[in-house]
Amino acid sequence: MFDSNDPKNSIKLRAKTVFYAILILNLILIISLYRLQINNAEKYVLLSNRNRIRLSPILPKRGHIMTSDGKIIAGNICRYKLIMDRCSDQIFQKNMNILEQFINFSNEDIVSILDQRKRKLPAVVIKDGLSWNEYSRLSMILFKLKNVSLENIYVRNYTMPLEFGHIVGHTSKNSDSIPILVGKIGIESSLNDQLIGEIGNIQTEVNAVGQKVRILDSRDPIEGKDVILTIDTQIQKYVYDLLSAEKAGACVVLDISNGEVLAMVSVPTFNPNVISGKMTNSQWRSITGDPLFPLMNRAVSCSYPPGSIFKIIVAFAALSEGVVSAKDKILCTGGIKMDDRVFHCWNRAGHGRVDLYDALKFSCDCYFFEIAKKLGIDAIVEYAKKFGFGSKTGIELPSENVGLLPTKRWKFLRYGTSWKSYETMIAGIGQGALLATPMQLAVMLGKLYTEDYNFSPTLIKSAKKNQVTNPIHREHLDIIKNALYQVCIFGTASGSCRTDYGISGKTGSSQVRRIKPQEVGLNQKSIPWASRDHAFFVGCAPYKNPRYVVAVLVEHGGGGAAVAAPIARKIFDRLMKK
Amino acid sequence: MKLRQHFLNEFKILWIILFFLLLISFLGQYSAFSGTLDGQVQKHLIRMIVGIAVMWCAYIVDFKIWSNLAYAFYAFSLISLMIVDLLGTVKLGAQRWIDLYFFTFQPSELMKLALILALARYYSMLSALETVDLKCHISPIFFTLLPVIWIAKQPDLGTAGLLLGTGFVMIFLTGFPQKIFTIVIISLMGLCPLGWFFLHDYQKNRILTFLAPDRDPLGAGYNILQSKIAIGSGHVWGRGFLQGTQSKLNFLPEKNTDFIFTTIAEESGFFGSLLVLCLFLALCGYFFWAASETRTKFSKLICYGLGTLIFLHVFVNIAMVIGLLPIVGIPLPFLSYGGSSMITFMISCGLVMSAVGQKKR
Repeated sequence: MFDSNDPKNSIKLRAKTVFYAILILNLILIISLYRLQINNAEKYVLLSNRNRIRLSPILPKRGHIMTSDGKIIAGNICRYKLIMDRCSDQIFQKNMNILEQFINFSNEDIVSILDQRKRKLPAVVIKDGLSWNEYSRLSMILFKLKNVSLENIYVRNYTMPLEFGHIVGHTSKNSDSIPILVGKIGIESSLNDQLIGEIGNIQTEVNAVGQKVRILDSRDPIEGKDVILTIDTQIQKYVYDLLSAEKAGACVVLDISNGEVLAMVSVPTFNPNVISGKMTNSQWRSITGDPLFPLMNRAVSCSYPPGSIFKIIVAFAALSEGVVSAKDKILCTGGIKMDDRVFHCWNRAGHGRVDLYDALKFSCDCYFFEIAKKLGIDAIVEYAKKFGFGSKTGIELPSENVGLLPTKRWKFLRYGTSWKSYETMIAGIGQGALLATPMQLAVMLGKLYTEDYNFSPTLIKSAKKNQVTNPIHREHLDIIKNALYQVCIFGTASGSCRTDYGISGKTGSSQVRRIKPQEVGLNQKSIPWASRDHAFFVGCAPYKNPRYVVAVLVEHGGGGAAVAAPIARKIFDRLMKK
Repeated sequence: MKLRQHFLNEFKILWIILFFLLLISFLGQYSAFSGTLDGQVQKHLIRMIVGIAVMWCAYIVDFKIWSNLAYAFYAFSLISLMIVDLLGTVKLGAQRWIDLYFFTFQPSELMKLALILALARYYSMLSALETVDLKCHISPIFFTLLPVIWIAKQPDLGTAGLLLGTGFVMIFLTGFPQKIFTIVIISLMGLCPLGWFFLHDYQKNRILTFLAPDRDPLGAGYNILQSKIAIGSGHVWGRGFLQGTQSKLNFLPEKNTDFIFTTIAEESGFFGSLLVLCLFLALCGYFFWAASETRTKFSKLICYGLGTLIFLHVFVNIAMVIGLLPIVGIPLPFLSYGGSSMITFMISCGLVMSAVGQKKR
């Protein structure tokens, strides 16, 4: 191996071997460093950034919801929160000792704080919902405390919660990691995108123990836009007060000059402040378990058989199709025989010979049985469609009900049987499978009085002027309008709706089940609530220059003339004073 | 006068290497201390200056004196080591320091030089023919193992391993039969698992962590992981001077001492790591070259021994911060914060210069 006689060489040779070993070891280091710093650099840069950068959201202020007269019905109030960043046990204990002098901690608070610390959250919520007194005292001594900060968050506050519950809806915290408020029902939900604003964020650098070192970058949140409703606070409150006397019902008030909804009430109602806040389980059960479904907006989300109200459409269809003329008379004997069954007029004594005016005035069923038969279901459906039955009105609320407009096709698909001619007759008086929401009925009348098929309601204030884009044939409309005026002078609504400004309207008492023979003529008050007729009234006023449409529904209220019409009258009186 | 001129002129390459190493050392410490010229960075600078002074002293001492005093120095170091056990202060769980009231020093650092001197002295008395005989290697092995075992007991496995390595290399250089040498190395490797039972819990933990760093990323594996993140995130050119987030935000452990390379690699990237490695390789190469410039076997062995010592420090330190070796407390020569290590390596340079300058006197 080596020349042992030459010690210099032997050492030198072996030193060479050692130096080669050193070079190899050096190469190993270089290769390892290359793999670490070049090949895997991206991975480690990522890990390094994850180590130090914390992204925390800054929540924007949610937009206000206001009425047309400028009252804020959904606003924000500040809630104060005490936060402690992650810190050592010593600092934590020191802080808590000081804080205990200023805040009353309940046992639950302590448990929650300790739990949060155990989970090593970057920030621990020491106390949520500080009183103003606590907040101001704490802000004075904040400089003494390390890692402690006060935060204010905005929570939703609803003024007039009962009156506006269904329109405004409520919010709840997003289940995502960012606890922003999100609208759940009502305008809060349908215009959530506009109200919510944009979330800002703040990028902070933290050190190895999670303390904030500096702010790297931040983006301010963008506040949500305010929404101005078309609702008039005074009218809404007035209508609510009137309707809240009833067990269940709904009312829609439209300004047909621009389609604005001036009031929309559904009873029973709920308190969105309760739902948006911290709700107990029993509170939630009492709302969802209520048989009257207070969360349901009856004005747009529930549909009912429209009953006699639908006769307006049938009459108009008959005139337009030339099935009858206004003066043609039909004999009402109190009932009509069809397929071995007798279909009764509500007045079993019969109305005698009635023309179209009389038929609408007294809501004669026989007359409409006859003309419905002549029209056929297809023609009725065609006109009903034009007046908005079976389709959404486009009101800016979620979960709008489309109602139900039965056709031959629908019957076949639903029940697999063919359409019977008696069904056409029942449809002629707005019973049977036909369903409509109170809003749809109000809009129907709106279309009629604006003489525009394209009339549509809105809840959001805008500069839009209603222009007639799809006019209705004038000639037949005048007959209908005249007849509806007479309803309130001489007809079914004459008891409550005869006024000097002139209301035109139609009552409706829609059956919710077949009347048994022994119940004929019974007072509605004497039968169980759930079996009573729904009481409807839709009307428009004033007679000259029609401006306001009111639709009133009292669920199981009994007769439309007796129950719904008086409410509508009061609303019209109030509107006229506006 | 002549001596001083010689000191400055004759070793230009060494001075250049040292200049860059000390510059990197200063910048590294300055950065690791969060970019402030406070007391600790000043202390580091003072140590450099004192180090150069000590180097000068080591240089002017007649080389024969080193040879004459080699055994005495060895004995002194060994006794100091033992005193550590009785008087030493416990630091970081290990007794490595003697508190001399005015400053603390590590006898194990002293031992590194003493062992090299003693071995060189011993072999310089033997001819190449004699070294073929196995018997003559018994006392050098004894020289080596005595402090190694003692230091390992302290417990300081890193330093013990370095001493063992340096001693072995020196014994190998002098002509220890190659076959037997190979067998010893292999059998020692085989014995390693047995050594497991003699380890402290924290040492076992370190080795387990080294074998599987993700085993407990917030506990024992934390140091390796954070160190790798810092080095890896340096990429080609680094995050920039004073911009290393891992070191600035205290994610790095011991960033001034054993992990100083991590700070440098994070801020200067692969370029910086390569520069540091090349400087150390050049220094080591210079020591090996210096050996061929000297005449006596004693001086040759000193040069080789010191070169090996420096390289082993560099290798073990860097290998441990990049996760190739378990974490053992080995400083990076010249760069790590700490007086004993700085003085030791300055003396090493002085010794090499002295060995080379010997013939000129």
